[in-house]
Amino acid sequence: MTTTGRAGAGPREAPPTPSSSDRDEHVWRNRFSRWDVKYMPYVLISPFFILFAVFGLFPLIYNGVVSLRTWRLDNPAADGWAGLENYRKLFGDSDFWNALYNTFGIFVVATIPQLLIALILAGLLNRKLRATTTFRMGVLVPYITPIAASTLIFASVFANRYGVADQLLKAIGLGPVDWRAERWSSWTAISIMVDWRWIGYMTLIYLAAMQSVSREIYEAAAIDGAGPQRQFWSLTVPLIRPTIVFTAVIATIGMMQLFTEPLLFDSNTAAASGGSAHQFQTVALLIYQTGWKNLNLGYAAAMSWVMFVIIVALAAVNAFLTNRLGRGK
Amino acid sequence: MSAVAQKTHAPGAAPRRRRRIFRAPNDTAAGPLTYVALIATIVIGVFPLYWMLVIGSSSDKELAQIPPNVVPGNQLMTNLDYVFSTDGVWFVRSLVNSLVVSIIVMVSVVFFCSLAGFAFAKLRFKGRNALMVVVILTLTVPNQLGAVALYILVTKFGWQGELPSVIVPGLVTAFGVFYMRQFIVDAVPDELIEAARIDGASTLRTYGSVIFPIIRPAIGVLGLLSFTATWNDFQWPLIVLGGSEHPTVQVALSTLAAGQFVVYSRVLAGALVATLPLLIVFLAAGKQVVGGIMEGAVKQ
Amino acid sequence: MAIATTLVATASLVGLTACSGGSSSSPSGSNAPITLTLNNWGEFGFAPLVKQYEKDHPNITIKINNGDYNTQHQNLQKFLVAGSGAPDIAMSDEGYIVQFRGQADKFVDLNTLGAKDYNTKFLDWDWKSGTATSGQQFAIGDDVGGLAMCYRRDLFAKAGLPSDRAKVSALWPTWNDFIATGEKYVAGSGGKKFVDSGVNIFNPAMRQQQVGYFDKNDTLTMDQGPKVAWGIATDIIAKNLSANIPTETPGWSAGMQNGDYAVLACPSWMLARIKSLAPATTGQWDIADMPGGGGNWGGSFFMIPKQGKHIQESWDVIKYLLSPDSQISIFKNAGLLPAQPALYANPDLLNFKNPFFNNAPVGVIFTTSAKNFTYQYQGLKMGVVRTAVENDLTQVMQGKLNAQNGWTAAVADAKKAAAN
Repeated sequence: MTTTGRAGAGPREAPPTPSSSDRDEHVWRNRFSRWDVKYMPYVLISPFFILFAVFGLFPLIYNGVVSLRTWRLDNPAADGWAGLENYRKLFGDSDFWNALYNTFGIFVVATIPQLLIALILAGLLNRKLRATTTFRMGVLVPYITPIAASTLIFASVFANRYGVADQLLKAIGLGPVDWRAERWSSWTAISIMVDWRWIGYMTLIYLAAMQSVSREIYEAAAIDGAGPQRQFWSLTVPLIRPTIVFTAVIATIGMMQLFTEPLLFDSNTAAASGGSAHQFQTVALLIYQTGWKNLNLGYAAAMSWVMFVIIVALAAVNAFLTNRLGRGK
Repeated sequence: MSAVAQKTHAPGAAPRRRRRIFRAPNDTAAGPLTYVALIATIVIGVFPLYWMLVIGSSSDKELAQIPPNVVPGNQLMTNLDYVFSTDGVWFVRSLVNSLVVSIIVMVSVVFFCSLAGFAFAKLRFKGRNALMVVVILTLTVPNQLGAVALYILVTKFGWQGELPSVIVPGLVTAFGVFYMRQFIVDAVPDELIEAARIDGASTLRTYGSVIFPIIRPAIGVLGLLSFTATWNDFQWPLIVLGGSEHPTVQVALSTLAAGQFVVYSRVLAGALVATLPLLIVFLAAGKQVVGGIMEGAVKQ
Repeated sequence: MAIATTLVATASLVGLTACSGGSSSSPSGSNAPITLTLNNWGEFGFAPLVKQYEKDHPNITIKINNGDYNTQHQNLQKFLVAGSGAPDIAMSDEGYIVQFRGQADKFVDLNTLGAKDYNTKFLDWDWKSGTATSGQQFAIGDDVGGLAMCYRRDLFAKAGLPSDRAKVSALWPTWNDFIATGEKYVAGSGGKKFVDSGVNIFNPAMRQQQVGYFDKNDTLTMDQGPKVAWGIATDIIAKNLSANIPTETPGWSAGMQNGDYAVLACPSWMLARIKSLAPATTGQWDIADMPGGGGNWGGSFFMIPKQGKHIQESWDVIKYLLSPDSQISIFKNAGLLPAQPALYANPDLLNFKNPFFNNAPVGVIFTTSAKNFTYQYQGLKMGVVRTAVENDLTQVMQGKLNAQNGWTAAVADAKKAAAN
């Protein structure tokens, strides 16, 4: 939006008649406003950075220091400097690579349907509807359900043979699935849990973007005989691509840190094993197990830092992609 | 400009051929299938809450049935009575504590994050882009081990077992700053700020008179999200408030779950009560919030 | 600027945790009001005892913080690391005690407070669970779980097996006899399963062996106790005697109600659980002895974290809770068995019968199993090794591994867990 008019125009006050007291006030005001323009922004952003420095940075640095030491709770005699030993060990640790594989795998299995279904739902909500607000709020209800309660309920839904999921399978003639036994089944169950919680949230973000697409574009495109589906996939979706990439970034950061769902899904919720063969142990779960079950805090801290770097790299790649796509639009 | 139905005839084409009416989706009425899909979505979304009601109102005998009941029982009051009257759970007090904590954090987050978001969005200062990247980076830290360091800190400040330990660390969040910044970038035209500057307004005055009125929907969204996150937070409060006389509601629920085995009917009855205030806030602020989420997410 | 302050804060706080406070007693003002905190989970029967103690000692208030089982232990661990926040009297379940034994230096050596007077009063293996490698007594036992074999009399009778508990105990003096009985049951019942889970046979069998996962020098020794127990458990699985249901899952409760399995290794504290999960089966259960000897599953201990400010007062409270009268009161109110065998002669204990279990004399049964249980050294890393081995056994139950390659995997995973 630009204002029309002469270049550099804008309402201007008549210049003040300079009297001495007026001039003093004017000078003071100028000084204040110069200070205001230069330093006020820092004042405004400082609360966040101060709090972060104390409550965010300190734990980060603390963990960094711990990762360079040997710190085993069950063997205080072994405490001491370890240098990069923890990190060296990590790269040869098959449990770590397994956890990484699970984390990425669940990420793919969960996020693609999550964003697809959210897109479709947003498309449905992007129509003239009755009870619009009810539907729009309704999709958010999973988000406000306490995560421990909903995860426990889903864990019993996916109980072997007696849970709702297996009963449904039985009803359509298929055998029961031991959801926790295999990678594919546990990844599916966990993805369903995660998607249940986050689809509504993503739906509303997409809906917002869709609602901002101007009607003229649809008319200008004038695809002959295009049904609503073709219109949706060929027009609407490409137009909101930056938003889609944004949600992909958020989903990435969230899914890389997946913890509560795989923790509570296991039959033995305290062990943090992620299944009998670690088939659904995510990195966050492994960090927790290493630190609080194996009592190896130094090693767990090193894992945390490596994960941090991986997530940052992924987020940076995604941000870069977002920029490229945005510019290309 | 409204969509207009048109019939065009290509020269020489069969005159009876009709083109589809081209309308923007927002103006197209939803078909019955759409309603079915949406209602199904809502049902799936709500069923765990419903299940919580079923379990929370069942007796142990009913719970032991396989296949399980799908209809609520009549034990809700009995179970709730246990929840509210058990020693050491402090359930009523925990509800109040959660309310206090969530409101304080919500107000603080909204206030400080909108100010910071405003600065990042519209003010020019050295290091602005780099610092914004740092803010976003802080979202990526995995926090399974953070509890130890944080606990040491909080104890040093003397807050162990007291509410400030769950309030102060959450007073300003990176997500809030990021969200506000995006929203302000998109929703507030630069010209309005220029105009205010020229009128001699200071930065704070600009915020108050120009920014604040426009970002009201975003404030609604951020407020609800912060309130929800703080209300449902359980891992950190459990460490720092567990066993103290000032629990929040999720900590009280954990005390309810005490024992080698969990008496699910009582715990979920309690969980239901614990979710109720959220639902109330949600329904009350719903329209605002939904509108705000949509406006805030338009362009990145 | 903020970063420099943070670094200084970091350094000083790391220093603080590195040298956590030494033990201290309260100032000698013996009547100064003192509040003691005690953390536990579930029903211990302490409430009336605490009230009485507070009456007798008006300057002392005892606060019991009752929370979720796993969370209480995990939080205690975090408080130990942080150097503050631990209760004056900490309790640990048997399942977590080895983890705290490895950090015995953070707990008061109860021998310095006079615990030596007690050691003959406790079951030998229970006392040793509270002894650290250095000889420190970091914990003292409150109760024990014992272990027996709960079985379904009605299902046994239908399958042509005896149902009287003495006769049933005579059926299986050894694990091989147990397996043979299981095969008879499967044949006589038309293919029903005998036990609930191979894991619940593996663990009791493991603990009966002379040497467990680790020998006394804390070296991993998989080829003694674990190998024997593995053999027994996988034999049961291979012969289709196991229903392969993990504990505390909907399938497990359903199994109880529907008779999907006929025997269940049960400690004393599981009886109430069975009753609440399968109320319709009242009177159809009974309790026989464990094959292979005694057993124990569960039990709890008192500990005094060094960071507490009222060490002597805490010890006084513990002594009070361990007194014979208190322990009998605990048994009557919460059904928990004392760790002190002299009390087993108490008539209340001896005569106690459980109607749900066909009036089985549970006091006698479980205390006998506790007395017959022999000491087995538990290595410091036993918790993680056990989880690793149990995971591999679960894979055998899930059909992903068989007994042989499962054992290879178990040994490899145990080595890895122990070295971690």
